[in-house]
Amino acid sequence: MTLSEEQNELLLRHLNGQLGPDEEAKVADLLRGNAGARAFLRAVAEQAVVVADVERINQHKPQPVKVVTPVFRPWKWAVAAAAAFVLMAAFVIATTPPRHAAKVSAILGPCQYIAADGKVRDEVKVGTVLRVGDTIRTRSSSAWVKLDLNGGSLMTIAGRSRLRLLNVDGRRGFQLAYGNLWATVAQSAGARPVSIQTPTATVETKVAQFDVETHSMTSIVRVNSGTANVVRLADGQAVDVVADHQAVVSARRSRPFAVARQPEPVNAWNCSMLAGQGAVFGKILPPTAEGRSRLGAIPLLIGKKTTIYVANFSVQCSGSPPVLIEGGSRVRIRGTTRTDSPVYFGITTQRIKGGFFGKYSAEIGAGALGQAGEPWQIEVPLSKFKPKTENVPDLPIGMELTDIWVFSPEESAELEIHRVEFLPREVGQ
Amino acid sequence: MSQRDRVSAAAWLVVRNAHTAEDIFQNVALKAMTKGVQFESVGALMSWAFITARREGIDWLRRQKNAPICLDNTILELLEQEWAGEAAAGDIRGQALRDCLEDLPSKSRDLLKRRYFDGHACEAVAEQLGARLDAIYKRLSRLHQALKKCIETKLEQPAG
Repeated sequence: MTLSEEQNELLLRHLNGQLGPDEEAKVADLLRGNAGARAFLRAVAEQAVVVADVERINQHKPQPVKVVTPVFRPWKWAVAAAAAFVLMAAFVIATTPPRHAAKVSAILGPCQYIAADGKVRDEVKVGTVLRVGDTIRTRSSSAWVKLDLNGGSLMTIAGRSRLRLLNVDGRRGFQLAYGNLWATVAQSAGARPVSIQTPTATVETKVAQFDVETHSMTSIVRVNSGTANVVRLADGQAVDVVADHQAVVSARRSRPFAVARQPEPVNAWNCSMLAGQGAVFGKILPPTAEGRSRLGAIPLLIGKKTTIYVANFSVQCSGSPPVLIEGGSRVRIRGTTRTDSPVYFGITTQRIKGGFFGKYSAEIGAGALGQAGEPWQIEVPLSKFKPKTENVPDLPIGMELTDIWVFSPEESAELEIHRVEFLPREVGQ
Repeated sequence: MSQRDRVSAAAWLVVRNAHTAEDIFQNVALKAMTKGVQFESVGALMSWAFITARREGIDWLRRQKNAPICLDNTILELLEQEWAGEAAAGDIRGQALRDCLEDLPSKSRDLLKRRYFDGHACEAVAEQLGARLDAIYKRLSRLHQALKKCIETKLEQPAG
């Protein structure tokens, strides 16, 4: 409702405090019934305090020396600024929902950061802070990212993994869509529990050291210290996984869901192509005429204009006990390639009943593979593997084998893997 | 308009003195800090801040001789509710007002300064400037309208 100039002036006279009772009654009626009058009065009040504010600031700007009446005292301005800050802080505290963040503390290999607003960055740097809604993914078998969750809690994802920060009430929420995660959730004042959602399970803990390997149909949770509550999403069943125990969580209700003690480590492992469960990345191919089962490497885009062809084999997913890496351990792989180009073998390692340790790889030159198209069998001693970073020992002796990967940079190589074995040191070594 | 400007403006409507309104705002902020009060929403906090500022203002008026007649509580509540319900883009409005003030001719700024910073009544301002009281009211009325319009124009412009 618009006001006449007379009505505006009436309100200004009221503010000047010179109206008699009859005119004050008119003002009251006007303000009760006219939103425009109230808007004008509010505008005048706002302008009055801002005019005073601006003038105060001007008086404290450097000016030519002159004698002025000190209307405003400097200490008062300081108090005003502090008070404004306190009130604004109170607003922020009152209105900001409690959210969590994770800072990238170390990184290796190709990674991608997808912000909550959809912005994508193909280069992630140490110090990048992930907030609720942000996603980080490690794009190749040899990549990993370490995250600092504050309060002494740490998390690592490695290999082909995708992690997103979720907004979960009263929890520091994460979604592990696929891949491997190691977490140490420390007890600290005010820290909220950690909740990790996978395609098949929810894992929650206040204090624990644990790892999760997840794929579309299965998640494996191993707890090394503390306790984690694990819920199977297929039916809502929940179990507490205590230290030195593990749980396998399937998307199928018919599969058993129980807590079991982690088996004792062994020093040998082989991944049966026929069983298929250990082959977590690649394409199962029809058996050869000789009945050999095969896994074909499949393309993995690891960066702009960079594709490699990868097959990946997981110890845990194969159902094997933990595999201990010894001095003299060997990796033996049988397969075929169609070109004279090198292939690369890699292993992921972690501490026995502990967190992520490191990645190691070895280049197998074309000369060692024999004639193109003919099956080869390569045995690589542990000593030939090189660490992917400088800050880990040359050899991962005493660590646990997490997975083995094989890749070729060439599509035309048509890399196929027929058998993967991790062998103990030879007798007499 | 920032939350600080709004609470100060609400206090100003009661006491009609910018420096006292600023003092009241400081007291409100101090109470929010020392009492450790927690609020579930911005609305709850603003509501508490307006009520506290109004009470402080009325207390201050009671201690003054020749204090102006204060508006009825129901009207003040109505004004506070409208302030609280305004869009959250308050800080942008506050900056727009400051920009508009800078653009004013020096004579207009001088008038506003005398009335609101120096705290002179309109009669005193008229006397200082050698103008008629009616002319002062007219000029103030137009100035306030012009500033209001200037803010709206600035807010309509795309950010750049």
